Amino acid sequence: MDLTQARLLFIEEANSLLAVMESCLLEIESGDAEVAEHIDAIFRAAHTIKGSAGMFGFDPVVVFTHNVESVLDKVRSNELEMDAALINLMLDCQDHMAAMIRQLEDETVSIDLQQGAALIEQLHQYIQPQTEKAEPVKAMIHNSPAYWQLDIQYGDDVFRDGMDPLSQLNFLQTLGSIENVTALWAFPDNFDPESCYLHLKLDFASEASKQQIEDVFEFVQDSSTVVITAPQQIEQSLQNIPPSDEKLGTLLVSVGAVTERELQSALQVQQQLQQQSQKVQALGEVLVGQGAVSADAVAMALDKQKATEHKRPPDFQFLKVEARKLDELINLVGELVTAGASIDSLLQQIEHEPLQEAFGVLTGLLEQIRDGALGLRMVQVGESFSRLRRIVRDVSKELGKEIELVVSGADTELDKTMVEKLSDPLMHIVRNAVDHGIESKEMRLYKGKPAQGQLKLSACHESGSVVIEISDDGAGLNIERIRQKAIEKGIISADRELGKEEIFKLIFAPGFSTASAVTNLSGRGVGMDVVKRNIEELRGQIQIDSIPDKGTTFKIRLPLTLAIIDGFLVRIGDTHLVLPLNMVQECIEFADLHENERNYLDLRGEVLPFIKLKQLFNLKSDAKAKENIVVVQYGNHKAGLVVDQLQGELQAVIKPLSSMFKSLKGIGGYTILGSGNVGFILDIPQLVQFASTAENTACHPMS
Amino acid sequence: MKTILIVDDSISIRQVVGLTLRANGYEVIEACDGKDALAKLTGQKINLIISDVNMPNMDGITMLKEIKQLPAYRFTPVIMLTTEGSEQKKEEGKAAGAKAWVVKPFKPEQMLLAVQKLILA
Repeated sequence: MDLTQARLLFIEEANSLLAVMESCLLEIESGDAEVAEHIDAIFRAAHTIKGSAGMFGFDPVVVFTHNVESVLDKVRSNELEMDAALINLMLDCQDHMAAMIRQLEDETVSIDLQQGAALIEQLHQYIQPQTEKAEPVKAMIHNSPAYWQLDIQYGDDVFRDGMDPLSQLNFLQTLGSIENVTALWAFPDNFDPESCYLHLKLDFASEASKQQIEDVFEFVQDSSTVVITAPQQIEQSLQNIPPSDEKLGTLLVSVGAVTERELQSALQVQQQLQQQSQKVQALGEVLVGQGAVSADAVAMALDKQKATEHKRPPDFQFLKVEARKLDELINLVGELVTAGASIDSLLQQIEHEPLQEAFGVLTGLLEQIRDGALGLRMVQVGESFSRLRRIVRDVSKELGKEIELVVSGADTELDKTMVEKLSDPLMHIVRNAVDHGIESKEMRLYKGKPAQGQLKLSACHESGSVVIEISDDGAGLNIERIRQKAIEKGIISADRELGKEEIFKLIFAPGFSTASAVTNLSGRGVGMDVVKRNIEELRGQIQIDSIPDKGTTFKIRLPLTLAIIDGFLVRIGDTHLVLPLNMVQECIEFADLHENERNYLDLRGEVLPFIKLKQLFNLKSDAKAKENIVVVQYGNHKAGLVVDQLQGELQAVIKPLSSMFKSLKGIGGYTILGSGNVGFILDIPQLVQFASTAENTACHPMS
Repeated sequence: MKTILIVDDSISIRQVVGLTLRANGYEVIEACDGKDALAKLTGQKINLIISDVNMPNMDGITMLKEIKQLPAYRFTPVIMLTTEGSEQKKEEGKAAGAKAWVVKPFKPEQMLLAVQKLILA
């Protein structure tokens, strides 16, 4: 029998089936027939036509008949009634199918495509569940199983991965009992004894949650397909929850109908579909398609959602605000803080408890407003990191180097002004690292390193500051060359003994550049001294660590914000000084017996260098006053600051010193105190550094 | 009796895991790094390997790649001890053949559950 003959046979068969369809439909209409039996016959007819047409590749017939079949299926399962309207529609469909079959016989017959489309449209109205109807819940009760249904299609690699299905089933029984097992398998022609072809269907009675059951198959999840269908009680529990404005997925997960993993994978599928076809498929449909949950459960959940739809709040919204307005607001908040402090100091003088209490509440609110206002200015550093990615790419291409950029902590937040001002120094450091730090491919291979260099950028919060690290796995800083160069440039004298860290710091000296050849990329006159200055302007500090042939790390430490700090107020004579509170470690009494010729003391076995601020700033003090030491820490260094009196915490709005005092070291700014006096804000990093080096160098006080 | 090899440079982890598993009917052998583990494998029947990733001398992933070359241990299941947030290491481990994992820090019972999913006592 050749294909042409088979084709003719199909046409003959289809025509007789269509005749059966027609007569059954007419008998149902006349009312004198066994409806169920006739519907079965009609369904079978459509089903057979679809199947055979598919075999011959008559796709239009398949598509159309599929729709007819779907509607008939619903009639068969009593979800739809075969009423007069539907009988009419079915007869029209039957006519259309007959026309399509005739066209297969005789190509000159034309069929009305428009009519076909219209019929499909009408059929769809029956297939799509009508949401107005509250029926689906009832239907579900018949469909959902009483046991958990597990469909486990083990992947080929399961045995090779060392997984044992039997162990899993045994383990599963710790959660409940397996009531029924059906094993299905299909062995391919090229049977591989190491491959797993097992496909199991289980009825599982258990009180466990869907998550718990899914966890049993955690380790085969990657290689196998595990579909778990919840028993009807679980999905039924959706009926008992109050209306909710949660997302559909959250709702289904909350009652245990869907697990977190199923939700995530459905969301992924949804996204992919959207990218491929620009068509949005509802999450519920995807979940049902994956077998994660029944369509009825989704319908129930949607009903719960609908109940609250009208009052659902809008999604995240962003407002674009002019930066100037924000700055004004923050300025005003600063003034508010200062005004609050002055009220506080007045309140200290009068005894009025209710007033003080009321003011306490106000102070709490003020702090929240302050934090909120400052938070408005916070942006993620990721923005400036992504600009660096481009630079690394371009520069490494130009130099013929292969460099991988690894970014972490891009979501760390920092004051916007700081992110902007950081951009240039970061760019400079990154360029340097790509240009001078990371060696050429040949040199790296010669040194036994991977040809591809690595540059890491990271940001994180560390006790009240933000730390940004830029590290490369290049050649590291050449200590001897830096020393030579510094001597050549007259930055240090030739006989000066310097530690490693001090030598590294030399590259920040003005007029220092070690690049033997000035390339197009670096050495454009902007040196590391500018980088350091930029960072210090932000009240930050930069440190270098470098190991020969392992690489160099730049560590930039920055305060969280520029405008307002929590401060600690101290006094020497009539002068008020403010220390940033997050750098204060502890306060101890300064007894004379500690005093010796060198400025350090023994703090519980640790050597603590200290500075007498009185001498450093040349201040007058009360001769009789008992002195105190405030222990401050910056980075890894600690130091003690000797002051007269400790006055407690305050919020300080930082005002910059006028440019006339730019060269003044040890003081970072000033603030107006509640009393109206001026308080100087100490530059702790500089003081700590001074204290720890004062012992080693012959340097005199910085002022 | 099923034998489990635990590879970790932390003696406390080896001991706690060892105690828990022995109490539940498994035989446990300990190794302190990848090299040690490879040496201890030879000639032993091992039903499961539990291994840390970061270890001196030889890390877990290098060890795994070596083990997968040994015909006798090719199909031995491996539980990798990963740390919270080290997705990359976990993926590396999976690629190297460790299809099961337990996230550090873990409670002994969690380890027992993971083991039971893979082999019966």
